[in-house]
This record gives sequence, structure tokens and C-alpha cells, in this order.
Amino acid sequence: MVEEIRRALGLAGTRIVDAIANFLPGLLAFLLILIAALIVAAIVRYAVLRALNGLNFDRRAELFGAPLAEWTPSGSASKLVASAAYWAILLTGLLLGLTTLDAALPTQFATSVLQYVPHLVAALAILLLGAIIARFLARAVLIEAVNMGIQSARLLSLAVKWMVLIVAAAMALDHISIGRTAMLLAFGIVFGGIVLATALAVGLGAKDAVSRALERQMRQPSDEDKLDHV
Amino acid sequence: MVSTGSSSSVVTSEAASAQVDIVVGLTSCNHASTVDAMTAALHDGVVRHFADASSRFVLADCGSSDDTVARVRASLGGVAEVVEVASTPTTTDLLELPYHRIPGKARVLRGILTAAKSLGARACIVLDAGIDTVTPEWLQWLTGPVLAHDFDLVAPFYRRHPYEGALTKGIVYPTFRALYGVRLRQPAAGEFACSSRLLDRFLDEDLWDRDGSQVGIDLWLASAAVSGDFRIGEASLGVRNHHAHADETVDLGTTVTQVVGALFADLENRVERWQRVRGSVSVQQFGDSAGGAAHQSVSIDPERLIESYRLGYQELRDIWTSVLPPRSILDLRHLMDKPASSFRLDDGLWARIIYDFALGYRLRVLAREHILRSLVPLYLAWLASFIIEVRDRGDDAVEQRLERLCAAFEAQKPYLISKWRWPERLRT
Repeated sequence: MVEEIRRALGLAGTRIVDAIANFLPGLLAFLLILIAALIVAAIVRYAVLRALNGLNFDRRAELFGAPLAEWTPSGSASKLVASAAYWAILLTGLLLGLTTLDAALPTQFATSVLQYVPHLVAALAILLLGAIIARFLARAVLIEAVNMGIQSARLLSLAVKWMVLIVAAAMALDHISIGRTAMLLAFGIVFGGIVLATALAVGLGAKDAVSRALERQMRQPSDEDKLDHV
Repeated sequence: MVSTGSSSSVVTSEAASAQVDIVVGLTSCNHASTVDAMTAALHDGVVRHFADASSRFVLADCGSSDDTVARVRASLGGVAEVVEVASTPTTTDLLELPYHRIPGKARVLRGILTAAKSLGARACIVLDAGIDTVTPEWLQWLTGPVLAHDFDLVAPFYRRHPYEGALTKGIVYPTFRALYGVRLRQPAAGEFACSSRLLDRFLDEDLWDRDGSQVGIDLWLASAAVSGDFRIGEASLGVRNHHAHADETVDLGTTVTQVVGALFADLENRVERWQRVRGSVSVQQFGDSAGGAAHQSVSIDPERLIESYRLGYQELRDIWTSVLPPRSILDLRHLMDKPASSFRLDDGLWARIIYDFALGYRLRVLAREHILRSLVPLYLAWLASFIIEVRDRGDDAVEQRLERLCAAFEAQKPYLISKWRWPERLRT
């Protein structure tokens, strides 16, 4: 009996040692990949930052209307892009490292995350494009509304900005299949609600203001409009 | 009558073989109501003042849907030869009405000048067929200096109400004068007379197909003339009244964008020229400065303009900050609190604002359309200040006021040159 227990314990010990012996090379590879990813990420961050600073990327992004600087505490679009590259490489290294551990669960997780990356990139691109368009349109509406003498020009501009941002966010979330049905429903309810609320507000609460605005439109142009400026 | 069909640049060999002294070019677009009187006056002018000279009319129509072309044919048929250079406006032309209301103007103008060159004209005069105050003397005052005194360009000077043409008075003329050193008071006018020498230069310029040429061509031709070695004159023609349809009103934001945009684009293209120019010279005057009908009265409330400026400052200050240095923003802040009675926009500040906007346009600190449109409240502030200063004053007082403004633009020119060369100083 004692002999059997001893043999069983010996076998268990052997299996454990075997398992550890099998696992150690994977762990070593995982650590090596992680360290390599860390070094590559740091080098890439440095190189990207230098290159973007050399290209005066912060100013160019501002001119292009990409509001990247607003999304980083440092206020620098170059730093944001460099950090994004750093974390992307580190994350990729981590996922690759997980596959070397020869464990089913981490490998499946890594594979599924890697398959998800293109969708994530596309969603981020949609968000960025939406932010650029929102900013451009908001500025255009603000300037035009001010030139038309509309007192609530800022409000109009903000409404346009958020409308475009909400549409972009809904499209991005739909692209990465996060709460697709819920998002569509929520978006439909919010968007429809805004339109209905505006229609009610205009129809009931602000009908006098609207009629005055229409009267102004129907009236002869003002003196400065009639003036030949050229 | 000679017709060139739909081409805007081809004249038939029959027409080309005949050399003429004067080519009278008309640009038209639905001007049936004014074209009869205009052609009659011009023909009368040719007969009365240039009886010994051979002449040819060139009609450049931009796709009129009324009977403008038929009326010109009818009114000149039998008494003068007409060359037609027709041009159909493109979709791009029709998308945005230009402030001068001639869609595709650069193309038709080029057609007229090409026809004039083919005809070997010694002088070519171009007029907008929508003007209903043309007299036979216009032809004499514009063309006479070219034929008799060897002038290369004679630009018009129209008598206007002090408040009219404020964009020209407050921005275009002072900037043009400071940049090119020539005191041409209405450089964006659509009418002019030119010599064959200048005509060749115009056709050789690479500005015809540039972006914005359909809008800015008048100003660009004037700057091409003053940038070369040409003799420039100015003819006082009296009052210019343009017949415009009610549905052809261009809003102020679009007008500012088109006119100031054309000026800034020209500035970019002639850097080497204007950076060498210092001071300015006057041009020889022709015509009748005191004659002609009285200009129409105009009433405008400066309080409304000041309110527009205040709204602009509140809402567009962030945008202006991208273009203007903090010192100018501070000066504009002080202006916010001024009552109408003491509302004055300093000439030096105004000149620096225009120069900073030109720099912002060049560097594209924002979308160019946004930069130009955001200038409107500032322009209205200048207009309010100008009206408050010159109201109830005579033409001479207005001229003196504009002279002071132009002097300020000339004095501030080193500011523009410095920032143009070192753009990193834009916001300092």
C-alpha cells in the first residue's frame, strides 16, 4: 500500500517536473518575445516621434483638421501617434508571446484578438475621419451662422459637431460588432428623439421665432446686403 | 457679321485677315435689357471719336438664355461688324455665381483678347454689357490714351457713393497699391482698354486656367499690367450702374471670399515682384472726374455693422486667434466696448489684420474658405468705422480719408514682408 502511494507520488512528481520542463522553454520564449517587443516598441516610439517632429506633424495635423492633440494630455499629436505605435507593438508582442506558451486558452485568445485587429483599426479610422469632418463642419456652420447674424451660432455649430460624432461613433461600434443591435436601436431612438424634439420645439415653443425668421428671409435684403461692396 | 460658333478662342480667317485699329469687346450674360443702349452708345462713340479708325465689335456671351445675342446682332447689323466668341458655362461655373455675375468670365475674356490679337488691333476695350450708364465718351476716355498717347492700360475710375465699393476701398485698393506701388483705385473693375503690347502679355500669362480665374481674372490682369513695364492710366467715367437681376444677389460672405481670395492668390503668385516695391506712384488721369450723373443715395446703419462685429468677436475669436497675433486680438477686444460714436478701427491695425489674413491664407492655417469667410465681421467693423468717419462729408474728404488708409498699408508693408519671409512669426 505504502509502496503504491510512493509510486503514485513519484509518478505525479515526474509529471509535474515534466510539465514544468515542457513549460519552461515556452515561458522563456514568451519572456524573450516580450522583452524584444519592449525594445522594438521603444525604438519605434523614439523613431516615430523624431520623424513626426521633423515633419512638423503637430502643425500639419492641426491644418488638416485632425483634432489628435485634443485627445492627449500632452497636447501633442506626434506623441499620441508614437504612443499608439508603442502600445500596438507591445500588445502584438504579448499576443505572439502567449501563443508560445503552448496553452490552448491563451493561444485561442491571442488568435481571436489578432483576427480582430483589422476591424479595430478600421473602426479607429472611421472615428478619426468622423472627428475631422465634425470639426470642419462645425467651424463652417459657426462662421456662416455668425455672418448671417444668428445669435445662437455656437449652439448650431455644437449641434452639427455632435451629430457627426455620434454618427461616426455608431458606425465605428457597428463595425467592430459591439452591441450591434443595441447600438442601432439606441442610435435610432436618440437620433429620432432629437429630430422629434426639435420639430416639437420649433412647432410649439419657438413658432414665433421661426415665423420671425421666415419673415426676415422673405423681406427685402438689408442695407448692407444691397450695398455693392466691390 | 462673322461668327465663331461655340469656340471662345477661334476667329474665322475672314475676320483675321482684316486688320483693325480698335476692338470693342463686350462680355454678356442675359443682358438683353441693357445691351441695346450700350451698343448704340458704343457705336456712337466710334463714329464720333474714332471716325478715321477701323473698328470691330467682339461679343463674348456666356450662354445667355434671353435674346442678348440676337439684340446685339440686330442693333449692330448693317452698321458694324461683329465677331462672336460664345462660351457655354461649365457646371463648375454655374455652381457658384461670381460677384461680377459673368460665369466663365476668364474664358470669354480670353476669347475677346485672342480675337483682338487675330484682328491685329492696336487697342482693345472690354466692357460689361450689363452696365446701363455707358456713354459714347467712355470709348474716347478709355481708348483715346492707348491710341493717341501710347498708354498700355487704361483702367476705369467710377464715381461712387462713399459707402459703395467698400471692399475695394478698404482692402483691395490699399493692398494692391502697397504691394505693386501703383495707385490704381479700382483694380478689380471689369472694364479696361489695353494696347496690343499688353494684350500679348495678357495672353502669355499663365493665369487663365488657374484655380479661381473665373472670379479673379479682372484683378489678376490689372496686377499683370502693373507688374510689367507698361504705361498705366486711369479714366474717370462717371457713374457705373450695373443691371443685375434680383435673383443674382451674391451674399457678402461669398463676395468677400471671392474678391479677397483672388487678391491673396495673386499675392502668392507675384511674391518676387511685390517684395521689391517700395512706396507708390500715381497714374495719369483721363476722362471727366466731375461729370456724369450723381451717384445713388445709400443709407446704412453702422450700429448694425458694429453688432455684427461684436457677435463675430464673441464667436469667432478662437478662429481669429489662429490667424492674428495676440496684440491684434487685444486691440479688437478693446474695440468691443466702444460705443458707436467713438467706434474707430485704427488704420495700422486694419492693415496688419489684412496682412495677417493673407499670411494665414498662404500658410493654410485653416481651410482657406474658412479664413476668408471669418474676415466678414472684421470687414463690417472697418466699414462701420469708415461710415462713422465719412458720413455727411464730401468726395474730397472721403478721398483724403482713403489716402490716409493707403499710407497706413504702405507703412505696414515691412510687417507683411517680414512675416512672409519668416512665417514662424505669424502668431507673434
